[in-house]
Order: sequence, then C-alpha cells, then structure tokens
Amino acid sequence: MHALQYCLNEASRSLWRQRGSSVLSMLTIAAAALVVGGFLLVTVNLDRVLARWSATAEVSIYLRDDITEGQRVDLNRVLVASDVFASRVFVSKADALARFKRDFPDLSSGLDETPDNPLPASLDVQLRPQGADSGAVEALVQQVERMPGIADVRFDRRWLARLASIILALQWTGWMLGGVLIVAAVLTVATVVRLALYARRDEIEIMQLMGAPLGLLRGPLVTEGMLHGGVGTLAALAALYGAYVAVKAQAGPVLAMVVEPEMLGFLPASTAGALLAGGMAVGCLGGWLAARHVR
Amino acid sequence: MYGRGIYALRDVTVSIGKGEFVFLTGPSGSGKSTFLRLLLRQDVASEGVVHVAGRNLAALSLRQVQTYRRTLGFVFQDFKLIPTRTVLENVALVSRVLGDQSVQQQRRTYQVLKWVGLQHRMNAYPVELSGGEQQRIAIARALVNEPALVLADEPTGNLDPDLSLEIMNLFRDMNARGTTVLVATHDRELIGHVGRRTLTLDHGRLLSST
Repeated sequence: MHALQYCLNEASRSLWRQRGSSVLSMLTIAAAALVVGGFLLVTVNLDRVLARWSATAEVSIYLRDDITEGQRVDLNRVLVASDVFASRVFVSKADALARFKRDFPDLSSGLDETPDNPLPASLDVQLRPQGADSGAVEALVQQVERMPGIADVRFDRRWLARLASIILALQWTGWMLGGVLIVAAVLTVATVVRLALYARRDEIEIMQLMGAPLGLLRGPLVTEGMLHGGVGTLAALAALYGAYVAVKAQAGPVLAMVVEPEMLGFLPASTAGALLAGGMAVGCLGGWLAARHVR
Repeated sequence: MYGRGIYALRDVTVSIGKGEFVFLTGPSGSGKSTFLRLLLRQDVASEGVVHVAGRNLAALSLRQVQTYRRTLGFVFQDFKLIPTRTVLENVALVSRVLGDQSVQQQRRTYQVLKWVGLQHRMNAYPVELSGGEQQRIAIARALVNEPALVLADEPTGNLDPDLSLEIMNLFRDMNARGTTVLVATHDRELIGHVGRRTLTLDHGRLLSST
C-alpha cells in the first residue's frame, strides 16, 4: 500500500514538475484516443442502426397485375412454410398509390396524369429477427422469384450487408490510424517519462545505494506513464462527448430523416471504460519503456 | 581490474572485525573509492573475493544485493542529499525504501536527527543548510536504519577542520555503539587526531595496516 502510494505521489509530483512536456505527452495520447474513440462512436451508432434495420428487415414481393388466385394461394403456402416468415401485409395497387402520394407528394402529380395506376400490388413480408441473418432468407427470395405471377422481389438485407461491410472497413481504418497514433503516443510518453527519470536520477541513485527494490525505482515512472494515458484519454472522451452533442444538435434534423433520434447515442460505458483502460495501458507501456533504463 | 591489464586494486588482503573503526587512506587514485565501491557492491572484483558478514558479494543476485545494501549505511563527500526533499524526507527515505513507515521508524528518524543536532531543521531543504549540517544529515540518514557497517568516502573533504572533527566525533560515537565504521580519507591530521587502525593504499596496493 505504501509502495503504491509512494508511486502515485512521486508520479503526481513529477507530472506537476514537468507539466509542459507532460501536457504534450497527454495530447498525443488524447489524439490517439480521439481517433480511435471517434471511429468507435461512428461505428457503434452505425451498428445500432444496422441492428434495428436488420430486426425490421422485410422482403417486398411485387405481384404481376395478372396474378391468378391459385398463384396467390401457392405464394402464401410457400411463405407460411418458411422458417424465417413472421407476418405479411398485402398492399393493393390503390394502397401503393396512396402510399406513394403520401411519401412523395412532389412527384404524385405525374401519376395523376396517367390513366392507369402503374404501381404493382405487393406483399410486405416481415422476417423473424433470428432468421434474418441466415441463408434461409436468400433461399426463400430465390424460390419466390421463380414463381409465376411474381413481378419482382426486393430484399433490403442486401444493402444492409453492404452497410455492415462499410462499418467493418471503418473500424479497420480507425484501428489502423489509431494504431499509428498509439505508437507515436507510446514513444512520446517514453521520452517525457525519461526526462522525469533524468530529473530524479540523483534520488534514484541514492535509493539504489540504499538497496531499494527495482519495483520502487521503476514504479513511479510506470505510474507516471499511466497517469499521462489516463488524463489524456479522459480529455479525449470529454472532447468526443462535446463533439457528439454538437453534431447531434446541428445535424439532428437531417439525421432524423434517416434514423430515429433515440437510436443515436454516445459510447456505451463499457466501451468508454475500455478506451480509458487502453489509454492507461498505452501510458504504462511508455512509462515502462523509460523505466527499463533503471537497473 | 580495469581494461588492458591496469589494476585499481592488487594484492589487497584485509580483514576488518565487527565493531572496528578503520581508516582507509592514501593519495588520490590509490584505490580508496574502488575499495568502498566493492564493499557497496557497485563494482564486482574481477579477481579475488570480497566477503562481508560471511557473504561473497560477487555471488549475490540483484535482489540479494538490494537486501545486502539495506544493512549498510554510507556517507559521501558530496553528501548525496536530494535537493528537492526536506531534511526529514531525506532521512526518512531509508524507511520508505524498506517499506517501513511505522511510528517506531518515525521516532527513530527523529532520534537520529536529534543525535546529529539538527532536529530543529527537519523541515529545511539541503540548500538552506551549511556544508557541515548537510554532512550531519547524510550521517543521520546512514544511521537511521541501524546498519551493522557504515562506509564513508571522504566525509570531511568539503568541510573545514573544526567541522571535520565534529563529524569524526559523530563517527566515533556511532562506533562506540557497536557499528563497524570504515572511513576513507586522505586527511592524515584527522586520522592522527582520532587515532584508529589505518589501512594505507598506494597505486592499488596495500602499503600498511597499522
């Protein structure tokens, strides 16, 4: 306990004594944490959107105008027999027209001029959430596409899969950029802590002569690196939260057209905690690299 | 032995008994500091052996060296006090190293400061003290752990004759309490005044033991 307290006291004292260079070190860690945290924030929110959209994914089956009653019965039989089928809503040609006019009022005048309603009737098929990821949906879509009386089948999981790929690419980009900055941060912390080591070299030499354990000599340096990491990451999290609030306030109305506002949120506590722990670990590593010079 | 066959110490066979007060003297470059560095286990003899309290110092692991050094006290010419620490903190550093911050240890810290007559300066910084006072603090630090052996390298080198005698009296007092004391100095007058066993080195060889 005394050793831990000693390490913390010495590290805090050194942090204050070298506050200029310490701020520089913390800023590099903050930059790395900001990049990683920023990408995490974006991808976490995209993941939430993706999960919501995946849960509500549906297959739209457009029917030919000349579909027979027998073909409708066959279609219903195939759907109900499928493991991924949850429910269906029939949208008549008239309902489709009304929906179009409601959703796209500016374009509806063009349809009014045509003598016949060009929009097809359709079946909106809701899928079971647990079945939405499986290949069973694709199999059902392909089976329905081949059935007579079917004009087209649209399955919006295809673009959801593309969105998932984009999220994955964003995550990798974040980790790669963050990785470069993390390396820079480790080296900066190591350099700054090494300056602290030089400032304390007389004390360390005397303590070595007194027989101080290596842990007591290196501990304050590693702790100092950890404090750099912790403070830097906390600053990054604060900046990230500020940016999140600002973006949500500025772009909220635009985002609301695409996603429900309550779906967007800041990093979960566990992710923020992991980021903080990661920042402290990066600082520790830098501190340890400097502390290795004490033998 | 240094590189290229140059010996810092050669053919030196010395035995110092428990509770002895011994001077180590000789001109600059005679090997006094090397002798002390071997005893502090800052250096390891390239030939021969150094035994302290039955332990072969060359055979000690890093952890054992740390443990061994905790049984020693040391005093240097340049005091080796930490300028950013108060007198009390400088002396109490030993207990911190030992992980002992008990009331008993704090009392011991106060006692040694009182013994060297500087209990009233415990909150001062080394820069605020005279050379003699700084060396007394270094002696207090060496003694706070009640070591069996105290090594001193030119402890009066930066002090005037009166202060030197004062410091030597402190060493005599600590020896009277049973501590083995080894003082390296080139001050013949001081050695004559104290009058204890003296090892004389020259060019790394032991010239006499009187």
